[in-house]
Amino acid sequence: MLDAPTHSENRGAMRSLERGSAMPSNTPSEAGEQAQVSFYLTEKRPGATLGSIDGLGLRPALFAGYRDLTKLRYDFPLVLLHNAPDESSVQSLSGLFDGAFAEMYGAADGERLRSYSLRMECEIRAQVAGGAGGSLTALWDEAARRLLASADDLLQDGLRRLRTSLKGDGEVIDCDGALPARLLGSAWRTVQRKKAQRFRDDINRLIAKLADILKADAARSATGHSAESLKASMGSAHGDAFDFAAMSRLLTKASSSSALHEGRRRRIERLLSVLRSQEFFPAFNGATNPNETAAAHSFVFESCTRALEAYRERLPEMIEVAKARVMAELEIGSEYNEAAHDPIFADFGATGLDPRYAVAFPDYLVCLNARDMLPAEASALLDILSAGLPVKILLQSDDIVERSPIGNSNFAVGLRSKQIVTSAIALGDVFVLQSTSANLFRLRDRIFRGWATSGPALFSIFSGAAGNAGGIPTYLIAAAALESRAFPTLVYDPSAGPDWASRFDLRDNPQADLDWPLHELPFEDEAHQRISETVAVTLVDFLACDRRYAQSLARVSWAQGNGRMVSVSECLTHEATGVPDKLPSVLMVDANNGLQRVLVDDRLIRAARRCVEMWRSLQELGGINNSHAARLLARERQSWQEQAQRSTEAAAASPAPAEQPSALPPASTVSAPEPAAPELERPSDEPYIETPRCTSCNECIQINDKMFGYNKEKQAFVLNAGAGTFRQLVEAAESCQVSIIHPGKPRDPNEAGLGELMKRAEPFL
Amino acid sequence: MSIAATECLLRLHDEHHELEDYQSGVPRWCTGCGDNAILAAVQRLCRDENLRPEKTVFVSGIGCSSRFPHYMKTYGFHGIHGRALPIAEGVKMARPDLHVFVNTGDGDCCSIGAAHWIHAIRYNMNMTVMLHDNQIYGLTKMQASPTSPKGLKSNTTPRGAYLDALQPLTVTLGVQNVSFVAQAVDWIPEVLYDILSAAFHHKGFSFVRIIQRCPEWLPKMFEPWLHDPQRILLLNHERGLQVSPGLAKVYKNQERHDPSNLNRAREIASVMDPIPVGILYRNPDVPCYEVLRRSDQLRSADFIKAGLEAEFDKFTVWPQEAQERVKPHA
Repeated sequence: MLDAPTHSENRGAMRSLERGSAMPSNTPSEAGEQAQVSFYLTEKRPGATLGSIDGLGLRPALFAGYRDLTKLRYDFPLVLLHNAPDESSVQSLSGLFDGAFAEMYGAADGERLRSYSLRMECEIRAQVAGGAGGSLTALWDEAARRLLASADDLLQDGLRRLRTSLKGDGEVIDCDGALPARLLGSAWRTVQRKKAQRFRDDINRLIAKLADILKADAARSATGHSAESLKASMGSAHGDAFDFAAMSRLLTKASSSSALHEGRRRRIERLLSVLRSQEFFPAFNGATNPNETAAAHSFVFESCTRALEAYRERLPEMIEVAKARVMAELEIGSEYNEAAHDPIFADFGATGLDPRYAVAFPDYLVCLNARDMLPAEASALLDILSAGLPVKILLQSDDIVERSPIGNSNFAVGLRSKQIVTSAIALGDVFVLQSTSANLFRLRDRIFRGWATSGPALFSIFSGAAGNAGGIPTYLIAAAALESRAFPTLVYDPSAGPDWASRFDLRDNPQADLDWPLHELPFEDEAHQRISETVAVTLVDFLACDRRYAQSLARVSWAQGNGRMVSVSECLTHEATGVPDKLPSVLMVDANNGLQRVLVDDRLIRAARRCVEMWRSLQELGGINNSHAARLLARERQSWQEQAQRSTEAAAASPAPAEQPSALPPASTVSAPEPAAPELERPSDEPYIETPRCTSCNECIQINDKMFGYNKEKQAFVLNAGAGTFRQLVEAAESCQVSIIHPGKPRDPNEAGLGELMKRAEPFL
Repeated sequence: MSIAATECLLRLHDEHHELEDYQSGVPRWCTGCGDNAILAAVQRLCRDENLRPEKTVFVSGIGCSSRFPHYMKTYGFHGIHGRALPIAEGVKMARPDLHVFVNTGDGDCCSIGAAHWIHAIRYNMNMTVMLHDNQIYGLTKMQASPTSPKGLKSNTTPRGAYLDALQPLTVTLGVQNVSFVAQAVDWIPEVLYDILSAAFHHKGFSFVRIIQRCPEWLPKMFEPWLHDPQRILLLNHERGLQVSPGLAKVYKNQERHDPSNLNRAREIASVMDPIPVGILYRNPDVPCYEVLRRSDQLRSADFIKAGLEAEFDKFTVWPQEAQERVKPHA
């Protein structure tokens, strides 16, 4: 923001501030006071005591140090670097020069190089302020040409070294009316390029894989196996060594008809045509000529209604392409199942496109100017925001001090844009960023976050370029709007967290916890002593820049003003009751840096009061002086105090030590849990197999596959004990590799050789 | 890089395969061969993981073990002697989306294929390798193999093998980048299944040595271990093999071993009696070669062609230029 000027030239300017020449104090002081009060209340100037401020070129006193912006180092002008990744593509000129200089820091002639670098920067800044634009290289060359007019070899060498360490080239833009559109536009383009790359890569991958499927099928088909195509695929070097006709005959006989199902082939071809002809991103392969791009839709619009129309028109196409992507993924993985998937895809997108699919498609950009906005546009804008469409809207306001639409004497500061911003925030899932153009550089990472969100985003920027401010530069107007809380910076980022504390951010306002920011104003008084006053920047200072409100201000001489004049912020803290005894005034400087005191009328005070009320409610939203939090804290504090009091009383009342807690109950002996699954009581008569231990070795199955069988785990069990002899059981038990077969008792007592078999069966009981 | 939405969308048609769906033909191994147990365990694994047969491939070399792919109804590659691993690595690089299993034997892996084995461990590609170690050359009718114990009488060692057996586990644990080493025995099917399942889920080169009986040539070899549970050392741990209570009752000889402890794993691996069974080492953080080498570029036909042309152009002789160069001397 407005940092205190450090350039040595301006310190001198501060010291020479003098009190301006006073009006002749001919009239008695009471009449003068009457005149002041009546001016305050009615804006009329009876008598000649109150001078108008026309023609003096007054500007707020705090601007005194910033007469010549080209001699100062601040955020502007900006350089939009080509070919740099996201956030670092936006740099300030001073930042770039500092970076370049830091590389050469250790050089022996560092001081001299530093002075050269500052001179270059100043020269470039002056060029830009004079209206020149273009790339950094062009401006550098022009500036170098001017500086080198004094033909200094050392300078030339130093400049050359600086140029090599100054990395990157880009467009240089200053803080003017076109800044918001250019800065945000270039940010949008950077983000879109990345998105386009990802989309293109994915689509190309899908196209390549689908084409491969078709190609493989063609190779296996009858034409693929014909002698000509075989010969063509072999190449000419060893073509003579092969008999292609015979090869073709062999292949056609040997290969089974594994050609693609006709329905599947048609589906793949359809998918390929949809994917190839999509117009959402220019579709080119990295390998081929990047300048040949297929016709793509444009996504930049000048009006919300047109953007909404375009979205509606393109929605069927979007659905087609999204559907094609999903179907292609399934086809490539051979997972497409017609019976199950066809009905689903037939209705795909009937209820609108799921945001998960829409996120891959490009965002729409709409650049609006509040001045030209019709009511129909405003409602279309709100429609877009509440529908959650992926549209990013830049709403630029050049002039925020508008006459109230009703026509009474009140005027509304930034009314139109504030209405839209508050509606957008209330929706809850829209990314909202409100700021003046002066603060845009500091907010650059937030801007990129806004472009990266998948839903709608609203950027409301005050450019300050309305031209009502006389000679005051646009940057200062914008900065004044920020400082005076006329257009505070707020960021509402739904993706930052689930609650207001994480989403809503007022951090980028100067001294956000105060009503008005405080600044030190040093000046020289009548006795030529240096005095420093703490001055609050209020809405009135901002309005005082605007020539349209000159009639609400009246110049007052120092003699007349003493004792009754207070600052606007003090006045606001007192309620207005009846005839005021303290009148509000602001400090302004004229063209010679002479300090003037200027009386402010009631209309501006009322506007300032409303402004501070709005600011306070914003503060509460941002968690500063939040009334809910304060009440909760007070309640908690009270209950804690009560508790503390109670415990001290209790401690005082019972001097005896607290009795020992009753003896702990004896630890109950917990019996160890019984081993799970007690041994199954197997009848020892029935033959059985310990199936879980079976190794599937086929021994028993081979002996009798009616008696023994495999279960679902391919482990053996006794399928049918009666389907074989006891001899077979014993043999199986003996040949079982892991000895898990238990033959049990024989079923048939008349079987031959039972005695010997029983003996053999004994180890397996 | 598929759209996240397709994952949750449209997996309506889930095919479920039974164990029989993975059976291809009746195995021609000898009855009682341990390979049958391994086959059953692998088929159970495929069924439980619902592996799609067209996405699964078994690669083998030569030997009784290497008949495996013929009995699985998935893709298979019965390769040449000792070269199961290089072929499997090639399959994995070309088609990283397939599930690759390797069946190799003690001769195929530790004898003729030893060189490939060392480097396959280093590459750490995501595959499951089963070493069917029956400590003999079975298919060629009883010759001593590198893992045959000292003193074994075979057709090539009629006076008994002179050398101590090679320890596949210590060899594998000694190679850089090793990420999963386990040992199983074919006569405890539950543990075999658990280890194979862990090996399958591990992202990297999972080496499982399965000590397997050969009923034809070495019928009495593992009798002592088969009948005495004390001679099996079960390695259990929360991060390793988890022993069920039923099994714990029979196999009481257990040790709690943390699979991330490489040094202890190496000590355990050097002991062969009792046979350690379980996961000896597991390190999920070793990168897989196919992932390291995965290119972000889309390798379309045009891209490859452009690359080849660029390379060839470096060596092309342009007749025009050659003539101009020659002219001054002419």
